[in-house]
Amino acid sequence: MKLDYLYEILLFAILILLQVLVFNQISVFGFATPFLYIYFLLKLPMGRNVFYVIIMGFLMGFIIDIFLNTPGINAAATTFVAALRRPLLRLFFTKEEFENFVPGINSASGPFIRFAVLSVTIHQTVIFGLEAVSLFNINILLLRLLASIVLTLVLLFALDSFRFKKFISE
Amino acid sequence: MRNLLNYILRNSAWFLAFLLIAFSIYLVFKHNSYQRSVYLSSANKITGEIYRVSDDVSSFFHLKSNNQQLLERTAELEKVVQLLKTQIETLSKDTSAIVSFTIDSIQPAQFEFISAKVVNISVSKFNNSLTINKGSLDGIKPDMGVISHSGVVGVVRTVSDHFSVIIPIINPKFRLGAKLINSDNFGSISWDGNNIEEAQLRELPKHENFNENDTVVTGFSRIFPEGIVIGYTKDIGVSMDDNFSTFNITLATNFHTLQHVLVIDDKYYHERTSLEASVN
Repeated sequence: MKLDYLYEILLFAILILLQVLVFNQISVFGFATPFLYIYFLLKLPMGRNVFYVIIMGFLMGFIIDIFLNTPGINAAATTFVAALRRPLLRLFFTKEEFENFVPGINSASGPFIRFAVLSVTIHQTVIFGLEAVSLFNINILLLRLLASIVLTLVLLFALDSFRFKKFISE
Repeated sequence: MRNLLNYILRNSAWFLAFLLIAFSIYLVFKHNSYQRSVYLSSANKITGEIYRVSDDVSSFFHLKSNNQQLLERTAELEKVVQLLKTQIETLSKDTSAIVSFTIDSIQPAQFEFISAKVVNISVSKFNNSLTINKGSLDGIKPDMGVISHSGVVGVVRTVSDHFSVIIPIINPKFRLGAKLINSDNFGSISWDGNNIEEAQLRELPKHENFNENDTVVTGFSRIFPEGIVIGYTKDIGVSMDDNFSTFNITLATNFHTLQHVLVIDDKYYHERTSLEASVN
């Protein structure tokens, strides 16, 4: 159990560094930027304390914000997703699977994909919505939103399946 | 009362989430004011340091092209130096004897340039920003202009001891007075959020002559000296109203590969702003 928390903190730090130093420099066609740090929230064990999830979500968004000079935007979006995590999980997974089960693309591909698609869509919509408050170019905004969601999901599933293979070989 | 407490306790996770989101949104809107806390930006010590290390690594891969650019720039400057040398020679032939006049003839320069390196840049969002590795200890203050070897970059916004955050042209909050190089009509530069290689030159009179690839330079500005290149006209853009025309311009600065910048230290900035403020 303690090892679990250690592993999570490590994932937390690595995802922040990856997001800030690598993913945020990516801009495919000037439209799509992946926001992969949300992966942390998706990969927590399903029965994890709700307060813990919300506070970690907020902290993660907040730290990302400080790096990207966008105070509040990522924090709000990530907290929102963290709060909605429990209801979303109930929507896609059956009750028996709860508690220590970690959702993943190889262990429960169907429900996990649906869960990830919905979470990422909510997260990105909030981010782009807050960022675009001062700008009214709806077509470009929607194009960016869609492109970023697709890119994030592709990278997220790739990352997830990659980790699982490594886990088996050990 | 007891029921209320029970209710709050039962849903306390939602209340916590609500509070945190409210706090975040408060930050979002506070962020719109011009000056912000240094501690919540990439100019603070920890984030700045991480960006510096990562930039040390990545700049290694750009050494070759940067060298090339510096060489070209050196060549250009060398040409100017030679030109000025010959001018001084011709001038000093006659006047060198009169020492009393020469003491005052060299005025202290109005502008000084502080060179700095970009350690972080975001170009994929609406509210783009960039961080450089010089701060208040190097003499940088908010509202100084920033240029690259090819043209205008932006304006300093927040300063910490060792780092500064710059608002570039490619941020919707950026405004700058500008004009076409062969004309006397002034317009203003802004960015519509679509393409980081282009910006818009607005509020020019309808009768303004237009040629493709005309140079756009800074006009009356408190922050930049006059005549610094901003970009080159590309085509006629969509105008907000009928009285003025709008041009799309290609920016001279390439934000994809931007690495070295110069910060303009205007010695007369405070004198000028305080004078203009005293009139109002």
